[in-house]
Amino acid sequence: MAHHMISLLVNGQKEKLLVPSNLTLLHVLRDMLGLTGTKNGCEAGECGACTVLLDGEPVNSCMVLAPELDGREVITVEGLAKDGQLTPLQEAFAELSAVQCGYCTPGMLMSATALLRRKPHPTQQDVQEALVGNLCRCTGYQRIIDAVMVASRTGGAE
Amino acid sequence: MTENYQSIGKGVIRKDAWEKAVGKALYTADLPVENLSYGVILRSPHHHARILEIDTSAAVRVPGVQAVITAEDIPGEKVFGPLIQDQPSLAWEVVRHLGEPVVLVIARSLKAAEQARESVKIRYQELEPVFDPLEAVQADAPQLHPDGNVVSEIHVGDGDPEIGFQEADVIVEKTFSLPRISPGYMEPEASLAVWEDDGTVTVWVSSQHPFTDQAAISAALNMPVDRVRVKGAVIGGAFGGKEDSSLAILAALGAWKIQGTVRLVNSRRESFLAHPKRHPAHIHYKLGARKDGTITAVQAEAYMDTGAYASYGPAVAMILTETMTGSYRVPHVRVDTFVVYTNSPLSGAMRGFGSPQTHFAVESALDMLAEKVELDPIQIREKNILHPGDQIFTKVTINDSALALTKCLQKGRELVEEFRAVPTPEGKLSGVGIALAAQSMGLGANVPDDSSHKLEWAPDGSVLIYLGSPDLGQGLAAAAEQITAESLGIPFDQVRSLPLDTLVTPNGNVTCASRMTYLVGNALVDASQKLIQALLKGAGRLLDIPADQLNYQNGMVLKPDGSEIPAVEFISRLAEDSITLEAESTFSFPYPEETTPQHLPIGMPHVLYCFGAQVVRVEVDPDLGTVEVTHLAAIHDVGKVINRLGVEGQIEGGVATGLGYALSETMLRKGESWVDSFTEYLLPTALDLPENYQTIILEVPETSGPYGAKGVGEIPLVPTAPAVANALYDAIQVRICDLPITPEKVLGLNKVS
Repeated sequence: MAHHMISLLVNGQKEKLLVPSNLTLLHVLRDMLGLTGTKNGCEAGECGACTVLLDGEPVNSCMVLAPELDGREVITVEGLAKDGQLTPLQEAFAELSAVQCGYCTPGMLMSATALLRRKPHPTQQDVQEALVGNLCRCTGYQRIIDAVMVASRTGGAE
Repeated sequence: MTENYQSIGKGVIRKDAWEKAVGKALYTADLPVENLSYGVILRSPHHHARILEIDTSAAVRVPGVQAVITAEDIPGEKVFGPLIQDQPSLAWEVVRHLGEPVVLVIARSLKAAEQARESVKIRYQELEPVFDPLEAVQADAPQLHPDGNVVSEIHVGDGDPEIGFQEADVIVEKTFSLPRISPGYMEPEASLAVWEDDGTVTVWVSSQHPFTDQAAISAALNMPVDRVRVKGAVIGGAFGGKEDSSLAILAALGAWKIQGTVRLVNSRRESFLAHPKRHPAHIHYKLGARKDGTITAVQAEAYMDTGAYASYGPAVAMILTETMTGSYRVPHVRVDTFVVYTNSPLSGAMRGFGSPQTHFAVESALDMLAEKVELDPIQIREKNILHPGDQIFTKVTINDSALALTKCLQKGRELVEEFRAVPTPEGKLSGVGIALAAQSMGLGANVPDDSSHKLEWAPDGSVLIYLGSPDLGQGLAAAAEQITAESLGIPFDQVRSLPLDTLVTPNGNVTCASRMTYLVGNALVDASQKLIQALLKGAGRLLDIPADQLNYQNGMVLKPDGSEIPAVEFISRLAEDSITLEAESTFSFPYPEETTPQHLPIGMPHVLYCFGAQVVRVEVDPDLGTVEVTHLAAIHDVGKVINRLGVEGQIEGGVATGLGYALSETMLRKGESWVDSFTEYLLPTALDLPENYQTIILEVPETSGPYGAKGVGEIPLVPTAPAVANALYDAIQVRICDLPITPEKVLGLNKVS
């Protein structure tokens, strides 16, 4: 298996890594960098639990090969809060009980963060469409959608 | 309202929400460990086959491989199972379902483990499989187990259905077919086992019952239970599917074999094939009634597909059987239920536990009856609904909490009228449907159901809960903390639940059966009283005042002279003397002898019920056959709300699962495999919600519950599917008797039965 040297920015931190061709971003994060906040739910791009921001866009990290990451920027759930200060979106998730088992939460937060950065005042339909790739079995989505709407009024994703 | 609670009934923020919202919650696959070895499982590629030979010689030579383990390497029990020990941890001689574990490979790297797995050579002789329980009970069907394919059967009744049907003026008779449904939790099963230097093993599990896992590991490794320590990591959903022990046993086996640390994590495909699912069932349902709509008799025959191994099948059958008359009075009843082995993926516990299957039949049949006797769906239900004091066919007398059923129906009637007034867009047909539900709580009579939990007063005045049953994500810990805070009169913020650890946590029993708030809450109310007594005893000693002259209120010790001293002062001083204030309490699910019928098999009957109703409005496209749920009202009695946010979240999530059961989910067999990915197994998404959704919570106190609370974990998904089917019929007069409701079935393009 060929290996590649890549340089990337992860949550603001420069990383230089030697990665095999077939390694996915999901495993770079979880296994090489110890960022286990990003969850492995299906490794098939179906459940959205592994969603991260790649150059600001939400992607299923299980569907991105590591060699593609050279010179790019990744934000994970661990990179949302700054100096221990949660984003209004994270606070809304906790306060509105949009979190139950929590396994879908990091992916939901990343998809919603991307939406709020792109469109700070989304409609409910916008939110539902932005989260359609993130599956959740616990909540029925109601509170997750509510939390994104509340966050859009209280400061959004930053 | 005369109550003046500080914690109970409020919407509290669960304490784990913060760590989950920043990505710091550690699930089993996330736990950092040193010197980790990776386990992978070679699984059966066949539905049914004889194992002729397992050749591991090439696999053991793969660099980095530490162990290649087959059934013969297991030092103790080779089979496990919660009710019947019939499931091999690793198959030998025969494989009975696709995905059954056969060989466990442990290696230094995942890559080496996977490479070695590919190098294992197994010769199989394929055997004829059987997938349908109706075929599996035939004499010439392939036999899966020595005692035949019928795992268990239940025959129960009351009165004489022959008389009942003679008294009937109308009969409704129909076969209902229910699909195989996945619990669909987001976290695939995982387990991490560490072989310790002292010859003990520590195993982290994502499990609903770590104490069962502990016993199963102990049996498989043939080592004493006290040398097996099981710890609960954060659990990413369970819904019944994490009551079985398979991965915990295999991880421990791997750790024992290499005397090291082994993690096993199922892929999504493995998870689909290997974890227990909701039982598919055929229910032949016959209902008789007088012209005025009064039900006279029910006769039902059910065949449940439990897959290759029993799992919780026989217990699921009990609730499936007991709910066969739903929320209604029926004088003459006969139910015959068969739990059948097939070569399908395992069925076992899943949220609802038999009741969703039955309710689809009962509530559909009720609407069919209503049409025949020219009553509307509300009237037929009013006529037959259970009232407090009524006896159902198991001879269980429904208690006063059944008042809730009538209240749910009254509220339902209002919602039906409201939804009927919604205008229908051009080109669509709309309809409104209702279904009631009665879901039992508890494991059933004569099944030991003791739940122990411990409280400890920390020197800083905060209280720790040694919660003996895991929180699966539903919010059990928050409810336990609220109940403890209320009982001790201290703020919610000062109470904290600890992760489960069999070494230090009492056995709270399995988290399931809509009974956790009830069991845990009752135990903690009692433990709180004991903790207060312990405090007063300690304070009395320090003050040199007899404990019985002291009182306690809201964090303060009251002296006989009326002065108050903060309890924390005593607690910290006692701690300096190495005295820890703690109290443990066990609550046993009550089956009072005088009111619990004893004529049924162990595990029957269930005596306490939760009640609910759901009203659904659908819009149907008559050309495309598509069904959209536009309005849904979920009306549920919870006895007493503990955490408002938690209860609402349970109901919302349950309804979404119910909508999946109604409209999209089924694990169909697909060529040589099964639907085994979210590409084809269609969980509802954020776009599949009704545009108008409301939760209506009723509170009819259950006098035996903590602060009047009972359960709500399972019931929210129970009435959804029949309410959708009834609404669909209302819209286009098509009666769907097999779930899920697909456009093809709506258009009559693929009639199934």
